[in-house]
Amino acid sequence: MNLDILIIALMAGVANWAFRFLPLRFDLSAGHPDGLMSRFLAATGPAAICTLFVASILPGLKVLPKDAGALVAGLTAVCAAFAVFRSVAGATFAGAAAYALAFWALG
Amino acid sequence: MPTPDRATFRDGLVAAFPIMLGYLPIAFSFGVAATQAGLAAGEAVALSLIIYAGASQFLAVALITSGAPVLVAAFTLIAMNVRHVLYGPSLMKRAGAAARTRHAWAWAWGLTDEVFGQALGELARGRRFSEAFMCGLGALPYAAWVGGTALGAVAGGGALAAYPAVNAGLGFMLPALFLALLLSILSRRQVPVVVIAAGATIAGTLALSPTSGILAGMICGALAGLMRRAA
Repeated sequence: MNLDILIIALMAGVANWAFRFLPLRFDLSAGHPDGLMSRFLAATGPAAICTLFVASILPGLKVLPKDAGALVAGLTAVCAAFAVFRSVAGATFAGAAAYALAFWALG
Repeated sequence: MPTPDRATFRDGLVAAFPIMLGYLPIAFSFGVAATQAGLAAGEAVALSLIIYAGASQFLAVALITSGAPVLVAAFTLIAMNVRHVLYGPSLMKRAGAAARTRHAWAWAWGLTDEVFGQALGELARGRRFSEAFMCGLGALPYAAWVGGTALGAVAGGGALAAYPAVNAGLGFMLPALFLALLLSILSRRQVPVVVIAAGATIAGTLALSPTSGILAGMICGALAGLMRRAA
């Protein structure tokens, strides 16, 4: 094991753990329900998930038309499956299956 | 539908199943990429075991193989994950004042983007918060991440080359999961937050970098929450 890699991994890993744990330890969620911090935190979840979703599909919009077609098929399948089954797992699988099928069909 | 009166370790494992399926191919890809870049299989697995943050790990391989100084590489990786400081408080706000965090030092390690999103979605659908549930929700994706990395590092490149459609479908698992999670927690009140987060992500990515786009989206979206009136 290269010592530099181990040092980099340990520094990044300890920081990750601290970022994930310390805000829980100090309970930053406390405060007035209508206060600025409460509203900020309530909006953080949808903002984070939307951000990660957009960031994850942006590369697919810049590549081959085949990938863009598969992307549309996958996203449509997720929305349709969620509307019908109200299940996160079901919608995820439906989206991945539709993406793979469209990728194969357009290939 | 989750049972509102129970939230066991096993419930957490079940809820983590789609995350596990999403993590496996990405971790596999990371294992392949790391060994192809010149890292030993053990070093690739150690990065997944110790850092446990997908995008940072791919960047870590690039920094390490480009010969970046140790401190520069480490602080670059640290800066990429600052967004995680928001997840715990946001989750506890949804969990309620009675939620315990006695063992948070353990389960917080597993609070990745996807685990946070899934936990939030489960709570929004009526699941009661428990630390056992969070342990289950975090354990399976972590195992999948480390295991997938090991498989990829051992298998090397080309393992899924004969099945491009399967590879493509597996690669779409995480975007599909994020969209499904977004749909599961979306409410009319949060639409402006989501629109602003999406716009800021696109603008930040196109103008600066994907990492900047992610930070801009999260911060601008959360700040948009301040502008709406409390319910």
